[in-house]
Amino acid sequence: MESKVQSPKSGIPGPHLALVGALLVAGGVGLCSDWIDPYHLDVLTNIGINVILAVSLNLVNGHTGQFSLGHAGFMSVGAYLAAAVTLNLAPRLFGPDGGAAGPTALLFLGALLAGGLAAALAGLLVGVPSLRLKGDYLAIVTLGFGQIIVVLFQNFEPLGGALGLNGIPPYTTVGWVLAWAAVAVFTVGCLVRSTYGRGFLAVRDDEVAAAALGLDPTRYKTVAFVVGAFFAGIAGGLYAHFRLTITPGGFDFTKSIEIVVMVILGGMGNTLGVILAAVLLTLLPEVLRPVAEYRMILYSLLLIGLMLVRPQGLFCFKRGRTN
Amino acid sequence: MPPPALLQLDQVTIRFGGLTAVSAVDLAVTEGALVGLIGPNGAGKTTVFNLITGVYQPTAGTIALAGRPLAGLRPHRLAALGIARTFQNIRLFGSLSVLDQVLVACNLHRPTSPVQALVRLGAFQQGEAAMRQRAEELLGLFNLLRFRDQPARSLSYGDQRRLEIVRALATRPRLLLLDEPAAGMNPAEKQALIALIRQIHQEFKLTILLVEHSMRVVMGLCERVAVLDHGEKIAEGTPAEIQNHPAVIAAYLGVDHQTALTHH
Amino acid sequence: MQEFLQQLVNGLSLGAIYALIALGYTMVYGVLRFINFAHSEVFMVGAMTGWAVGRQLPQGTWWGGLVVLGAAMLVCALLGMTIERLVYRPLRGTATLNVLITAIGVSLLLQSVFQHPRVFGATPQLFPPVFPERNFALGGVALSSNQLVVIVVAALLMVGLELVVHRTRLGMAMRAVALNPQAAQLVGVNINAVIALTFALGSALAGAGGVLYALNYPTVEPLMGVMPGLKAFVAAVLGGIGSIPGAALGGLILGTVETFVGGSAWLSTYKDAIAFAVLILILLCRPTGLLGRVAPEKV
Ligand SMILES: Nc1ncnc2c1ncn2[C@@H]1O[C@H](COP(=O)(O)OP(=O)(O)OP(=O)(O)O)[C@@H](O)[C@H]1O
Ligand SMILES: [Mg+2]
Repeated sequence: MESKVQSPKSGIPGPHLALVGALLVAGGVGLCSDWIDPYHLDVLTNIGINVILAVSLNLVNGHTGQFSLGHAGFMSVGAYLAAAVTLNLAPRLFGPDGGAAGPTALLFLGALLAGGLAAALAGLLVGVPSLRLKGDYLAIVTLGFGQIIVVLFQNFEPLGGALGLNGIPPYTTVGWVLAWAAVAVFTVGCLVRSTYGRGFLAVRDDEVAAAALGLDPTRYKTVAFVVGAFFAGIAGGLYAHFRLTITPGGFDFTKSIEIVVMVILGGMGNTLGVILAAVLLTLLPEVLRPVAEYRMILYSLLLIGLMLVRPQGLFCFKRGRTN
Repeated sequence: MPPPALLQLDQVTIRFGGLTAVSAVDLAVTEGALVGLIGPNGAGKTTVFNLITGVYQPTAGTIALAGRPLAGLRPHRLAALGIARTFQNIRLFGSLSVLDQVLVACNLHRPTSPVQALVRLGAFQQGEAAMRQRAEELLGLFNLLRFRDQPARSLSYGDQRRLEIVRALATRPRLLLLDEPAAGMNPAEKQALIALIRQIHQEFKLTILLVEHSMRVVMGLCERVAVLDHGEKIAEGTPAEIQNHPAVIAAYLGVDHQTALTHH
Repeated sequence: MQEFLQQLVNGLSLGAIYALIALGYTMVYGVLRFINFAHSEVFMVGAMTGWAVGRQLPQGTWWGGLVVLGAAMLVCALLGMTIERLVYRPLRGTATLNVLITAIGVSLLLQSVFQHPRVFGATPQLFPPVFPERNFALGGVALSSNQLVVIVVAALLMVGLELVVHRTRLGMAMRAVALNPQAAQLVGVNINAVIALTFALGSALAGAGGVLYALNYPTVEPLMGVMPGLKAFVAAVLGGIGSIPGAALGGLILGTVETFVGGSAWLSTYKDAIAFAVLILILLCRPTGLLGRVAPEKV
């Protein structure tokens, strides 16, 4: 399907141009944010965070075909670690009234990366033992790890226990979120659209054949898992500094399922579709706000209806991929 | 002393529950040989391939490649050692184009790292271009280049089988295992396939082990033939010797009735 | 020792409920190869039915309790069949993940319908004590009549299911469909009927589980199915999904372990993690569960 590899002649690779463009747009939106309605900004921020989550899970579930139900767990690791970093360091570095833009941005970046790396490490620890399981078994084990992470946070008093953390500095802006979303899309896209990355698809399509060609299925799955967890961690950090309060319960398996729904609705492995699905599923509850009483009922009916009408994913216009 | 065989099976046995699918099989394939492995349905031929490629581990016995024991190695490591195969029930990648099937197999000798896939500068682009060129050459050899951007499953059955061979060749194997490459082909296609196998055998200096039901293909290609029946090796020799071997004739005749009952 | 026996009894009665729910997951998985995520909401509907019917009946009578149980099982059986007919059947043959998402949709739908104030609302309600309440002491081990009911009813239902699966034509058809749907159809099994009845049976068991659960933790609310459902699912996987004795075994193990952990001062706050820790440990040693069949993939 994705047979257009970079043409070898051009100087700067196309994906990089796209990334730079996207980053510029993110910066632009960030600068204009004073003129945008705060409600719309909130929605846009939510969309961005969900895009990061969905695109990164798509690398695991969609491209590599490993059904993971623990994405929210990795998100929580990133959220807690990033929040802990800023909560502890910001007052010490900048005093009570916050610092200048530059240093806070650096601190935030550091906190996000720390969160992302911790989540990636968690992904490695979870992935290595469990990725030899298949299908539903993998799904339930990742779900289990996600729940265990939640319970661990609930019992870890230094990070607020069941009450969670609050008073997290409001560092997340639309610009940050959109920029990270661009990076996530770029990373996943570039990984998959290379000779190396076709291995992800091969492992998904037929593990036995992939191994017979010298691809190490476990290795590929682990890479997908770790990269996916990294971006889930980043999304978690952004989320924490957007919501300003986090509780362990906010990252339980209903959150994981929400992300899985985006991936499946978008059409597994179809990056653009998954982005659109993330946007749509973030907007849907907002659109349904006037009928708040019936919101969840309508949401679930829509979900069922879409699956019945478009089982190949909402935004997949090529042949349905049944496997 | 003669050089050790490239592939050496020594008393290899595998059991699935109560069923002994392969029973104490010895087999030596010398470097550069083109050996046939035949036998009635369910004789254990595919299982022998699965054992050689690490899909299954033998219950007893040893397998060695160029003198190196292969016990415990997983399939992708064996591929890296130079064993490639095709599958009896075609296993192409459902979502990859014809070219991508072959490119993915080039990974084994990929000149660039995954990190370079993100940075995408100089070396990466050259590497991708080189792999592409190689993949296209191989496809051209099999006259499949015209399908390069089509999904593999849109190909005819025979073309899919040949694409699997291309894919296996892209891993630069020393030993190529072909599991019924001519299945489902018409006589003309079979004739062309014989010529093609002979060509790659010489051009890529391959050692080939071939499972095939079509006697025409086996007799036309193989220097030596080993015969399996009920998991046991009942004969080995030149095609002519095999054809007149009483045990072989008995095996094929005897099983015909059974096959009708149990296998179809 | 006495303490130990007491915990064992408590654990077994919790485990029996998990086992009842787990059976539904496993039966559906057996014939359709997918995880019916909506099963935990069928369980919730069972408890709700019991609550609604139980309020109308005189309390503390054996017949009243049995009526409540029967009503819940009937309603759930119908609900299960309806869900299968309306939602899962049209999706049969599509990718399992789609079915899974649809199941999640059904599950959300049932939750949100019951959360609507006109239907039930979000506030938990007390479950009426429909069975006579009495406490027995067996050599120092306290056993409430509710626990007794749970264990006896669960045991009877499981034995009944075992008989249905192994002694009746329906059971034989179910096993045939589980082994190979196409072949079963070829030899004249009506697949649609078998699947519908599988859903009915599994859902009825979940309905009974719902009532029994609500009896012992005497409140009902629309999200009450989530955790028990999840744990029952874990139990099914633990025992080897698709295996009926496995589901019963998994449920009992899980309930017992959880009760012991909950009873220990040290670990009690980790109670909800234990189910998963046990599961992960077992799956890492036996990737297809305790009683699941290990079948090397044919190549
Ligand atoms: N994974 C497995 N589990 C159980 N039995 C197996 C497995 N793989 C193969 N067998 C059995 O081993 C025996 C040999 O099978 P195999 O596929 O090797 O035969 P074959 O010689 O390749 O036959 P054919 O000509 O039909 O391809 C058969 O009886 C088969 O059912
Ligand atoms: Mg075979």
